[in-house]
Amino acid sequence: MKGFRLTLFITALVALLLAACAPATPQVIEKTVEVEKQVVVTQEVVKEVPAERAVVRLSGWAASPEETALLQSLLLDFTAENPDIVVKYEPITGDFWATLKTSIAAGTEPDIYYMDIFQFPAFVQDDVMLPLDDFMAKTGTKKEDFIPSLIDAFSANGKVYGIPKDFNTLGLFYNKDLFAKAGLAEPTDDWTWDDLKAAAQKLSDPANNVYGLGVPADAGRFPIFVFQNGGSIMTPDFQDTLLDAPEAIEAGKFYTSFRAEKIGAIPADVGEGWQGTVFGKGQFAMVYEGGWLIPYLKQQFPNINYGVVTPPAGPKGEGNLIFTVAYVISKNSKNPEAAWRVINYLTSEAAQRKVMESGFALPTRLSLQESDYLKTNPASAAIFRGALQGARPFMWGLVGSDVNDQMTKALERVYLENMSVEESFKQAAEAIRQKLAELK
Amino acid sequence: MTTPSTTSVILTARQKARRRREALTAYTFLLPYLFIFLIFTVFSIGYAFYLSFTRYNLLSPPQWWGLEGYRRVLCIESWFPRPENAPKPVCDDLFIRKALPNTFKYTAIVVPTQTLISLVLAFAMDQKIRFRRLFRTIFYLPSVTSSVVISLIFVWLFSPLGVINQIFHLKINWLNDPRYAFYTIMMVNIFTTSGTLMLIFLAGLQDIPITLYEAAAIDGANKFQIFRYITIPMLRPVIFFVVTVGIIGCFQVFDQIYVMTAGGPLDSTTTIAYLIYKWAFRDTTVKMGQASALAFILALIIFVVTMLQRRVIEGSGSVNQ
Repeated sequence: MKGFRLTLFITALVALLLAACAPATPQVIEKTVEVEKQVVVTQEVVKEVPAERAVVRLSGWAASPEETALLQSLLLDFTAENPDIVVKYEPITGDFWATLKTSIAAGTEPDIYYMDIFQFPAFVQDDVMLPLDDFMAKTGTKKEDFIPSLIDAFSANGKVYGIPKDFNTLGLFYNKDLFAKAGLAEPTDDWTWDDLKAAAQKLSDPANNVYGLGVPADAGRFPIFVFQNGGSIMTPDFQDTLLDAPEAIEAGKFYTSFRAEKIGAIPADVGEGWQGTVFGKGQFAMVYEGGWLIPYLKQQFPNINYGVVTPPAGPKGEGNLIFTVAYVISKNSKNPEAAWRVINYLTSEAAQRKVMESGFALPTRLSLQESDYLKTNPASAAIFRGALQGARPFMWGLVGSDVNDQMTKALERVYLENMSVEESFKQAAEAIRQKLAELK
Repeated sequence: MTTPSTTSVILTARQKARRRREALTAYTFLLPYLFIFLIFTVFSIGYAFYLSFTRYNLLSPPQWWGLEGYRRVLCIESWFPRPENAPKPVCDDLFIRKALPNTFKYTAIVVPTQTLISLVLAFAMDQKIRFRRLFRTIFYLPSVTSSVVISLIFVWLFSPLGVINQIFHLKINWLNDPRYAFYTIMMVNIFTTSGTLMLIFLAGLQDIPITLYEAAAIDGANKFQIFRYITIPMLRPVIFFVVTVGIIGCFQVFDQIYVMTAGGPLDSTTTIAYLIYKWAFRDTTVKMGQASALAFILALIIFVVTMLQRRVIEGSGSVNQ
């Protein structure tokens, strides 16, 4: 009895100390409690249904410990509701695609894995994923419930292969303090290229390493300018590139003019690798980035005063990129039915709401468009809106990595070797055509 | 007459049994290593050799391709000027145009530099100077640190607003300018490997009998003459080892490039080893067969260069290994 009391006393003391030590992070304590509760739930379930449980393996990359914890808690909820299925979560750290592809070669891939839209064409071509239409019909999951540009991205040959789990688009992040200092009105969703350039001119102060706009040689940013100029990176069937078409070259001239006129810069100009950091430090007044910048700024630069709008329209209207990841089922899965139930749960409205409210990712279901979360988080709402305004998937067909390399090089040649945009883009297009020829 | 012969027969039988026992014991001890060696080295190399004759993207089974993979790596068509309107060859000239010259340039600069620096360092450390042990530790420290960590530190040191530019009042974009990026990576590699090589040289220097130096001193040789005619010849086997290890390491340089520049900017730091990785794992359409072919071409290059270098070093003196 005495021992018990002592333990109680120590526990209370420790709890008190913990509470006293960490007043700034109440979130952490909350989370621990939640996970503990869920663990208890699973243990009870194990006693009830000991045999005949289908095992489903799920792999994805581990973006951050918080995200992993969130997925695990969702999976625990799922097992509580579906005691006949065991989900083994096997995150892949390091090089996800090399690991996944080699495991497919060895026939040991997980039942469910993450599929980035960028990698999707190669997996479709080699027919390693299971079409989901029949499963969807059985559980009454409708294609129309999802944002069209997302579910279409993971469809091929009239079949749906993946259910998008989340997505990101690019938004124009702007530093409110720098705008106020320059006496400029803040950007709106109705901005155009001219507004962008005029603002960049006023915001720049190269002597103090402050630039109006971040214009990195990045294939994940530049294409939106081509779209906004009525062009495209690849033809619709991905058999040829349009990088040397007049629309793309003109977009290239506009994009690279910022650095040439010293009203824009690449991150390396100010000694950084990523423009998100430069934006946080207040050296780039505006950057095109995705929703991933929001939690980063919150953590690393909590004092920055910023806003987000959809990318300014070009001469031919809106244009944006969609970065999206889906859950897909392996063709070799022994329990495809069970795997589908896991996916269906993870992409359900309830699960997606949970993910959205944690601030990690945007939901792919149209019904969540009107959620309170998006109303109270204007930055995330701007990224969400982007998907509905002329956005196209970040995907260039089977030679995607080569197209990315060539776009980066095309911009680097202009930036670092003073080559003309026409010549540089022509070289890039030739190199892409060569890669397309090599596929045959 | 019969007795000795029978004893000898018995003896050999005994000896045979003993020898067999010894062999058995030896193989038992070797077994764990042999098992790993056969599976992870011999089998892997054999399988890679097979893959080098196939087209293989990991997602569907390999297809026999004959020498096409080798042809695409070497891209012989791109060696000669083509008529203006001729169709482009179906191959990538990245190996011939960038990776191969870059790798040779890297080896040609790094190996002599790191050998010279480590030799001088070892010679200095062999003298009776103050804080000798401290210096040895300091010089050896980079070698025991992870190359990835060192690369990251150098990325930071050589950033445009980094320490190096601040100290020397420079405005060079070390890792983002195709003119400097490769040399920056060379510096990192020289910095990391010189310590180890210094240690090897130091061991070699301390192996040289003191009597030779004494004899030379009595004969009136000066410091430089002693270095040139005693130290260097006596060190020849060590120099051979250091240069060989250096050449092989340089031809395979990968980690610093992967961490610091990923082959860029504008392919200025793409080496053969990095190109193998790019083809095998980084591209959306995996070219495992072509990457395997390049791996065997790289092995062949290293073999030839090492043989040539052996001729040069051993041919110029009488001291054998």
